Amino acid sequence: MLPEARLNPYPRVDCRPLDGVRVLDLTTAVAGPVATTLLGALGAEVLRIETPWAKPRSPASALPYRGEGPDEPWNREPRQNELAHSKRSIALNLTTEAGRDVFLDLVERSDVVLENYSPRVMGNFGLEWDALCDRNPEIIHVSMPAFGKSGPWRDRISYGPGIDAMSGMSWLTGYADGSPLKPGNFYCDQNAGLSAALSTVAALIARDRVGGQAVELAMLEGELQLIGDAIIGQQLTGREPTRIGNQHSSAAPHGVYPAAPLLDDPDSWIAIACRDDDEWHALLRVWDNPSVACDRRFATGLRRWKHRSKLDCLLGSFTSDQDPVVLANRLQDAGVPASPVMGARSLLRDEHVHARHSVGGLPHPQVGWSPAPQAAFRLSQTPSPPKSAGPLFAADTIPVLRDILGYSEEQIANLLASGAASDRLRDR
Amino acid sequence: MPLLLDSWLTGGETLPRSLTATQRYPASVTEQDPDQAAGALDGVRVIECSETSAGAYCGRLLAGLGASVTLIEPPLGHPMRRSGPFRADVPDREGGASHLHLQRHKQSIRLNVASGAGRRMLDQHLSKADVLIIDVDRRRWQDLGLQPEAVIDRHPDLQVCTITPFGTEGPRSDWRGSELTLYAAGGYLRIGGEPEREPVKAWGEQGHMQAGLHAALGIVTALYAQAGGQLIDTAIFEAVAFLLGGGHQHAWFFDREPVRNGARLVGFGPGHLYPSTIRPCQDGWVHAHCNNRYPEAMAVLFDQPQLAAPDLLASLMGRADEVDELMEPVLAATPRREIVRRAQELRIPFTEVLAPSEVLADDDGHHAARDFWQTTPHPRGGDVLAPGPALRLGRTAWVDGVAPRLGEHNGRLGTPKQRVQWRRAGVA
Repeated sequence: MLPEARLNPYPRVDCRPLDGVRVLDLTTAVAGPVATTLLGALGAEVLRIETPWAKPRSPASALPYRGEGPDEPWNREPRQNELAHSKRSIALNLTTEAGRDVFLDLVERSDVVLENYSPRVMGNFGLEWDALCDRNPEIIHVSMPAFGKSGPWRDRISYGPGIDAMSGMSWLTGYADGSPLKPGNFYCDQNAGLSAALSTVAALIARDRVGGQAVELAMLEGELQLIGDAIIGQQLTGREPTRIGNQHSSAAPHGVYPAAPLLDDPDSWIAIACRDDDEWHALLRVWDNPSVACDRRFATGLRRWKHRSKLDCLLGSFTSDQDPVVLANRLQDAGVPASPVMGARSLLRDEHVHARHSVGGLPHPQVGWSPAPQAAFRLSQTPSPPKSAGPLFAADTIPVLRDILGYSEEQIANLLASGAASDRLRDR
Repeated sequence: MPLLLDSWLTGGETLPRSLTATQRYPASVTEQDPDQAAGALDGVRVIECSETSAGAYCGRLLAGLGASVTLIEPPLGHPMRRSGPFRADVPDREGGASHLHLQRHKQSIRLNVASGAGRRMLDQHLSKADVLIIDVDRRRWQDLGLQPEAVIDRHPDLQVCTITPFGTEGPRSDWRGSELTLYAAGGYLRIGGEPEREPVKAWGEQGHMQAGLHAALGIVTALYAQAGGQLIDTAIFEAVAFLLGGGHQHAWFFDREPVRNGARLVGFGPGHLYPSTIRPCQDGWVHAHCNNRYPEAMAVLFDQPQLAAPDLLASLMGRADEVDELMEPVLAATPRREIVRRAQELRIPFTEVLAPSEVLADDDGHHAARDFWQTTPHPRGGDVLAPGPALRLGRTAWVDGVAPRLGEHNGRLGTPKQRVQWRRAGVA
């Protein structure tokens, strides 16, 4: 039985590397929100600008109400909460002139506008680069279109998994005897989000030299970086790369093997990789199977690779009654790269994850503690873990209008009354 | 008789905005500023001591953003030089696909850092550098003079970024890792593949590539922060765990692990939208995805009124098999390009599943129109096309170049006499 899942609260950090940077976040779906949560955790003040009627009132996936205060199911949608951590929320209707004016006033007082609309949407709002730049020549406008803002596919629409298909990534991913698979739920989105955060900080560094600028991150071009070796390899060999599942192109054993079912997890596997003779001999010390050790078919790396199917069968029958955690520890002690196949739940029970704060907890007023992973780097002088759980919808509209824009009570009342801004979820 | 668009829009409804004729577009960054300034990181000097694709991709991104990146290679060269694919399958340390892709626009210094003289020369380089990337097995840090704390003691303004399997702190920081085992340790492996088979990872070295991207973000953030030199501790398994996204929420609130779901999305309830999957069609596969805002449009695309039935729309993911069956007759009779064309006309985000050769063939001329592919001379003659910019910044260039020959830039070290001495001593 694994230990209980645990969420260590993220520590409070008063000084972060992007302190003083303000980001206007017009993002939707996954890729854009990933970029802005990263920037938020790094210290930017991220204002998530939402349409006043953006959310369904009773999402099917809403978490049970566990907090205090009003019961608002739209604030308890888990995926949205995770993608909005470290941000503030304001609601503006950008299809109204007054809503656009508020947005442009914010542009004057901000450093970055980040959006992942299809290319025509910012134009529909009258908020292209020229309009933003007129109000603030120092503004950095990061766009994350699926295919880019030019070229014949500019008008195509796609979510991240559709880009996995267009990049070749899906073609390459899957079992050797199977059809193409996605590389994960939202792999392309996550990659684009990180890349957009990287380009934003790079543009901030260059701002003293060149001022503001437009940044374009086509999700497709971001993902093509990740399979550049396949693209070039196809040209060098003249052969189409094929799906190879978990196999290595030249080493064996290298795979995912069945392990003894755990009490609360029947889906139990261990990954083992032997990339050279040293790792193979280390594996044999744990495996302790003289007939395998003496088998001439497995005497050299090349022969093991040639007979990898047989070797995988034999190794799988050894691992299938072993506890994956215990076996991985023994293999690591011997010098073999190995790991139990973890999952989101087992990570929350893992001592290493706890020690590193890889996934920590943030207090949310309506759902209790909410988990969020932090970026995979730790800065020794300016640590930047996620800073706050996903904001309540439109909770910051009035403070932003009052404190950042300096609007009068009367102006704010007019904006709320006209629907150009909202401090709550509205019906369309 | 085929359904017409009007027939499923009941009285009083208007076409969603996305179905209306497209309006004007903002200029793409590809069309801007012919006399771009140097890269955003112009003037930043990076020393890369790497031996995996994680450090190499990190360095490549920084080089693309304009940093001057010097790759310190051991006498036998970066291990990537020994991994293919190669032209005609003949190993070639200057011409492998990964090398040509990930080492672009870097300088190569061949230096035996295991020797005292080599370590002193590296230290001289570090005294003039802003960033050091250490992506070397931490068991050898001491021998190579790469203990990060000692390096930063000697060079207090240097950003020292380590990339290791499990990070430098935590109970498993000494564990070994390979791409496969780290994919398992980060939890992302578990969601790939068919539910009745072993989990399968994404193609290539995606865990390492993501770690490289995280590391690059950590480095530019530290440069922006101007808080003096920092240790930037990047863990590859955390870059993998970061990909789980909303999976952490489900694990925490529902105490369950996601179940593999083939090419379908993982971890969503029966009420979630569908399709987002890969399906066979007449001449290959398509990525089938409904438009999340009006999934009922699928009824038009497939000439199947049932696809707009309210009870099905309420439970699309729960009835995914049924949706697949309803799509099947049209898919089986229609080529990829045609079904995607029809879908995109309806603003339904279908895309083709393309093989690498088809990505390169670029039948619609999209990549060509965006001037994406970079023609690169192969060291043995002829040209290959390599992926171009990961990011496009309007006023600061994406800087490209060719991958260096092993030790190509050793000529810049010391005086001619010193170089002869170093060569004889096996230092450089």
